[in-house]
Amino acid sequence: MSLLAVEDLTIALPRGADRAHAVSGVSFTVDPGEVLCIVGESGSGKSVSAGAIMGLLPAALKREHGRILFEGRDLLALSEPDMRALRGAHLGMIFQEPMTALNPLMRVGDQVAEVLAVHGVGGARERVPELLESVNLPDPARLARSYPHLLSGGQRQRVMIAMALALEPKLLIADEPTTALDVTTQMQILRLIKEIQTRRGTGVLFITHDFGVVAEIADRVAVMQEGRIVEAGAAPQVLNAPQHPYTRALIAAVPHRMAKRAPVEGRPVLEAVGVRKTFRRGGGLFGGGTAVHAVADADFVLRKGETLGLVGESGSGKSTLARCVVRLVQPEAGAIRFHDTDLTRLDRRGWKPFRRRIQMVFQDPFASLNPRRRVAEIIADGPIAAGVPRQEALRRVRELLALVQLDPGAGERFPHEFSGGQRQRIGIARALAMEPELLIADEPVSALDVSVQAQVLELLEELRQRLGLTMLFITHDLRVAAQICDRVAVMQHGRIVEMGDTAQVFEAPRHAYTQSLLQSIPGRGWTPVESAPVVAHDAYG
Amino acid sequence: MSGFVRAYARNKGALAGVVVVLLVGVVAALAGWLFPFSPWDMQGAPFQPPGEMDFLLGSDSLGRDVAAGIAYGARVSLLIGAISTAVALLLGVSLGAVAGYAGGILDDAIMRFTEFFQTVPSFILAIVLVAIFSPSLGSIVTAIAIVSWPPVTRVVRAEFLSLRSREFVQAAEVLGHSHVTIVFREILPNALAPVIVLASLMVANAILLESGLSFLGLGDPNLMSWGFMIGAGRSVIRLAWWMSVFPGLAIFFTVLALNLVGEGLGDALNPRLARRR
Repeated sequence: MSLLAVEDLTIALPRGADRAHAVSGVSFTVDPGEVLCIVGESGSGKSVSAGAIMGLLPAALKREHGRILFEGRDLLALSEPDMRALRGAHLGMIFQEPMTALNPLMRVGDQVAEVLAVHGVGGARERVPELLESVNLPDPARLARSYPHLLSGGQRQRVMIAMALALEPKLLIADEPTTALDVTTQMQILRLIKEIQTRRGTGVLFITHDFGVVAEIADRVAVMQEGRIVEAGAAPQVLNAPQHPYTRALIAAVPHRMAKRAPVEGRPVLEAVGVRKTFRRGGGLFGGGTAVHAVADADFVLRKGETLGLVGESGSGKSTLARCVVRLVQPEAGAIRFHDTDLTRLDRRGWKPFRRRIQMVFQDPFASLNPRRRVAEIIADGPIAAGVPRQEALRRVRELLALVQLDPGAGERFPHEFSGGQRQRIGIARALAMEPELLIADEPVSALDVSVQAQVLELLEELRQRLGLTMLFITHDLRVAAQICDRVAVMQHGRIVEMGDTAQVFEAPRHAYTQSLLQSIPGRGWTPVESAPVVAHDAYG
Repeated sequence: MSGFVRAYARNKGALAGVVVVLLVGVVAALAGWLFPFSPWDMQGAPFQPPGEMDFLLGSDSLGRDVAAGIAYGARVSLLIGAISTAVALLLGVSLGAVAGYAGGILDDAIMRFTEFFQTVPSFILAIVLVAIFSPSLGSIVTAIAIVSWPPVTRVVRAEFLSLRSREFVQAAEVLGHSHVTIVFREILPNALAPVIVLASLMVANAILLESGLSFLGLGDPNLMSWGFMIGAGRSVIRLAWWMSVFPGLAIFFTVLALNLVGEGLGDALNPRLARRR
């Protein structure tokens, strides 16, 4: 008998939603000592499946039919007190956002002990250090006395895992547990989950959107699309010989081609010399506060027609450096030369002519468009501010929308009527409306699903070639960087620790940090198959 | 727009609030037609209870019609509520916008200035101001506006602080827009929802303040107002309860209705709440 068997589970969405069922006819099993990955894009129903098992669904979502059998007992038929006894003791869960999953007013050790105490296990306090040690946390005794804000994201996620595993549950449900973490931390957490699972024979239901993570950890895979499981099977088989067209499209969309381009020999467009920016936090009348060196002595050169990738983990200063270039942040030292002008010495008025030539695409497609203005106004705004007659600017909006492959009628609508990928296209159109020479793209695809991400990357690459753009591309995703950049600069703690041609950096990294970053790419041993007849991307846009 | 109306109409209390406010507005507008005489003129015998001698709501100690007083008083209340709120909004939004957008020393200076007003009890300050400038419509409106702008400044500043770091504002910066364009076209329209809610509550508060001032005899001596009527009826409340009860009810229902409207607007303008209902 399987540890967990979900049979023909169908959960209805409230009326007025974009489809009738959150999940429909979903069946899968998890055996002891096995990792089942449910993989799918946002809105595919994978988190709803996990929530149903734990009995944590919002009241609006009702089961229509189906059973969830845990060791032969139907979880959906259990009363709330029975379910509570199961949760924690037999079913453990780890959530996506470690920053908000811990109570900020309680010491870490007390929170772990609480799990034990709730289920009536004696000697809770004494077991805490041992539990913290089992998730490879350093100095567990001291850590148990700390409050959550003193811990890093990775440490908090370990504490969450320690809590989930405190009572040695037979099944662990992990809902995107590494999505909010940096790659190196992600790798450590994945290894930890794998290690604990092998040691204790726990069954793991792992929910993710990232095929790299699947390749790293899964024994078996179930692929979900719009509430249905479209393909399921052993991990090597699904990853290397996908049968369903949707799985094939998803895997083909994982960035995997190394950019192979002739070295660019144009003249420098942008040159940064010794750029430095320090943020001061806190401090007031009675304290000095702390200084954070966001960017420390960054140097780079960007030549005409080239794409330079700035890669690094969160807090490495890559976004701050990009914002220094467009003067959203004023660097305190160093020079940023655009052709022959030092941009750092210009005042607001002096900058104005350069606004046309340097443009930026932002990360969050939901925050980067003013929700109260129409798309056509958003796109035409920049040229109008730069002196283009209003009528002409509005006329060009249609061309720009066509250029980013959007319907020309899209201009009349408001941003909230578009999906994330479409909004990102609008953001790109807005930047291109100024006909810039230099485009700064700050994590333009990191908030997008993998298939949409592939389309936007393709669009950027095509535009770069067609318009001869020079691009500064900021990303934390090394796979994306490998696909789109001619050269990459790796940043750590505000410094550029390594810079070189993409192929050279990826194949023969010199700096220790670059090496550890590359080793942390999930599923680095797996090369996605290039399935030839990929179903038209638009079907999933 | 229709979506907004639907979200608003789902709150039954707010709907009732709108009806009451509209009713008060209609009475104020038609006061001259319903009661074609000055509310200060004697219309019959004094101390007539409601229903006697054509006095719908009775007459006061000088034989003046209480119903006429309430109708004309509605004009004064709504006028003072609306004008003083408009003035306070103008002051509060501008200061809050500058503080939130500019930040730094300017922000500090404006916020300390705001706190200065907030540390003084607003009713006492209003009394002092009206007493200094001698009671008149202008001085009452000014006094109420001066005591009610600080909360607006705080709300607007908070909204500006959070919106200023949003990516669409940064995008506008990168596109080379001027500060004025960024403030008025990008940030302000997105900051208005809480200000609109606050404004409806401020109108209610202004009506209360004006009534309080009139009750103390600091109202405009040429204008009939609800607060004045209560003040005049206070000494004879056991003899003629209707003199203070009806104006009191008028204040009560108007202020309650405005608060309900504010709550309804708050729910309807908050997209998350609007969807949950």
